[in-house]
Amino acid sequence: MVESSFNDKTKCLTIVINGRFDYSCHKSFKEAFVSVKKASAYEIDFSNVSYLDSSALGMLLLLRDHAGGEKASVILKKPNGAVLDILKIANFHRLFDIQE
Amino acid sequence: MEQILNILIADDNPSDRILLKAILSQFGHNVISAEDGQDAVDKFDPNTIQLVCLDVKMPRKDGWEAALEIQRAAGNVFVPIIFLSGVADPVALSNCLRIGGTDFISKPYNPALITAKLNAIVRLLVMQKTLEEQRDAMSLYNEQLVHDQNVAKVVYENITHSNCLKDPAISTVHYGTHTFNGDVILAAYKPNGGMHILLGDFTGHGLSAAIGALPLADIFFDWTKKGFLMRQIIPEINTRLKTILPANMFCSAAFVDIKVNNKSIEIWNGGLPDLLFFSQQSMAPQRFPSKNLPLGILHPDEFECQIDPITFIPGDRLVVFSDGVYEALDKSGVMFCHSILDPFYQGQVEANKALDWLVEQLTEQGVLENPHDDISCLSVCLDTNIGIESPERDMPISHHEAPADFSFEYVLNADSLRNTDPLPYVLQIITTVPGLSSFSSQIFMILSELYSNALEHGVLKLNSDKKSSSDGFSQYYEERERSLANLKEGYVKISVKVTSEGNSRVLVLYVEDSGSGFDYQHINFDMANSELLYNRGLALLDQLCHKLEFSKGGSAVTAYYHWQVGQD
Repeated sequence: MVESSFNDKTKCLTIVINGRFDYSCHKSFKEAFVSVKKASAYEIDFSNVSYLDSSALGMLLLLRDHAGGEKASVILKKPNGAVLDILKIANFHRLFDIQE
Repeated sequence: MEQILNILIADDNPSDRILLKAILSQFGHNVISAEDGQDAVDKFDPNTIQLVCLDVKMPRKDGWEAALEIQRAAGNVFVPIIFLSGVADPVALSNCLRIGGTDFISKPYNPALITAKLNAIVRLLVMQKTLEEQRDAMSLYNEQLVHDQNVAKVVYENITHSNCLKDPAISTVHYGTHTFNGDVILAAYKPNGGMHILLGDFTGHGLSAAIGALPLADIFFDWTKKGFLMRQIIPEINTRLKTILPANMFCSAAFVDIKVNNKSIEIWNGGLPDLLFFSQQSMAPQRFPSKNLPLGILHPDEFECQIDPITFIPGDRLVVFSDGVYEALDKSGVMFCHSILDPFYQGQVEANKALDWLVEQLTEQGVLENPHDDISCLSVCLDTNIGIESPERDMPISHHEAPADFSFEYVLNADSLRNTDPLPYVLQIITTVPGLSSFSSQIFMILSELYSNALEHGVLKLNSDKKSSSDGFSQYYEERERSLANLKEGYVKISVKVTSEGNSRVLVLYVEDSGSGFDYQHINFDMANSELLYNRGLALLDQLCHKLEFSKGGSAVTAYYHWQVGQD
C-alpha cells in the first residue's frame, strides 16, 4: 500500500510504503510521483516495509529518473535490516541517500 | 433490456400452458409448448432454446427429472430453468432451486411478476454470454501467448546455450518460476585458456525479464571468443543494457574470469549476494560482496568496474548464487540469509557438496514447490586445465591450407597503451592465416604473455616479486591500474611475421618495449616450482614456443611459433 503527501513549503513529496514493496505497488507508486509536478525533493519512508524485491528497486530507479537522474534528491528513510541489506547488495547507496 | 428469447414451456394442464404462452408471446418471445416432462426433454435443443419453464408435477416425467436431463443435454451452455408450481410448500420450492433451477413462478400467474422475472433472466443471460465470450477470447489469447513464449524460448536457449556449462569443472542448479526466467548462467572458454563465467538475474520474471538476456549473451560469447578481457566486456554489456532496457529494468550479475596461466581469478560482483571462495587452506569461505551497481543502470561515463583478484590452488572452489536463494523464506517465514545459510557461510558445509546442500535446504523448506523468485546456483572447481584441453575446442585441422606470407608492425604509445587492448585485434589478423585458427588459444597465450610482460615490467616497471603473496598479488594489480592511468610516456611495439615454406609454417612475434630490460641470462624456466605466484609467464612461453630470443638488453623478445600443415 502506498500513501503520499506533498509539502508545499519544502516542495518535498513524501511517499510512505506499507508492507511488501513489490510489483503490486507499481501503479500506485508511479502515480504517487507522476501526479505531483512541483516536487523538487523526494522522501521514501521505508519504516513499514517488510520486504522489497528487484522490481521495487526498478521502481526506485524510475523515480530517480523522473526526479532528474544525477541531480535528483531522493532520500530513502528507515529501511529495516533485510531491506537495507537488499539496497546495499544492489549498491543503491551510490544512487540514493539512505538514512537509517 | 430488449431481447427476444426462445422459450420452452412444459405444463400438463392445457389452460395453464396456453395462458403462460399468451403472456410470454405478448412480450415478443418465441414459445415452444410441451405437454409433459418427457415431451420437454424431447423438444429441448441447447442451440436454440434459451430458457425453459417446467411445471413441477407432470405425468411420464416430472419437472425435477426433466430439469436434470435438460441440464445434462445443455452441457456447457447455460440454460436457465424456471419451475412453475401450484403449491406454495417452501420445501418443494426450495428443492427446485437446490437441483439447479434459476427461479420459480407460483400459480396463478401474475403477469407483472413474470415480466420482472423475465427481465432478470435476460440480464443473467446477457451477462453469461459476455462471460463466455471473454472466456473464449482469453483462452485464445493464452494459446497465442504460450505459442509466442515457446518460440522465444527456443531462440533464447539457442543463444544462451552456446556455452560450455557442460565443462566438468562447473555444476549448476537452475529453477525458474515461469517458462522463462530472468536468470542466466553463461560460460565460455577464452582463446588463451581459462574461462569467463557470468551469472545474471534480471529484474522481474518471465518473458520481459528474459528479453535482456539476448544482447547480454550475445556480447558475452562474441567478445570472449575474440579475446576481450572481462574489464572490457562488462562495460560493453552495461552500455548495451542501459541503451535498450527501460529505466526500471537492470541485471544483477557476477562475472568471473578464470585465468589458468597464473592461477588466479578475477571477480566482479554487481548486485548479487556475496560470492564465496572456498580455499582448501581455510575452513570458512572468503566472501566477495557486491561492490558495483547492477548492469544497465549507470551511464557509460559513470560506470566503473570494481574487481577483486584472488589466487587459487587447483581444487579450490567458487560458489555463486542469485538472490532467489538468499532471499528465499524458510518454513517459519525467515529469510534464508538470516537462518539457513549461516552454517554455509561459516564453512560447516563441505565446498564440493555446497550445491547439493543448498538444493536439499530449498527442498526441505518447501521453496522449490512454490518459488517466488528464480533460483540459480553455480559452483566452479578451480583448476589449471580449465579451457585448455577440453574436447569441444579441438577443431578439425584442414588438410588443404593455402600458404601465407605477411608481416605488420603495431606500435602503441602512452595514450593508446592506456586506452586500448591491442590483443583481440592482433589475434584476429593472425588467425586469418589458413589453419592457424586451430592454434589460436596457444598463440593468444603467447601474445598475451609477451604483451603483459612488456607493458607491466617494461613500460610500467612493476616488480613481479610483489606477486609472491596473495595480498601482494592484489596490490600488484591495483598498482598496475594506477600506473597505467598515469602513464605519460612509453611504448610497446608488436611485430608479426608469418612465412610459409612447403608444409612448415612459422609465426614470428617480436615485442619490444620502452623499458630498460632485465637480466634475461639468469631466468629459471623451471615450471615445477609452482609455488611461485610469479615468473610463471616466461616458463610457459618457453614451453609453447619453438624458440624464445631476448635482445636489446631484455627489452625485446622474439618468439618463434612453428606449425606443420597436413600431409596427404
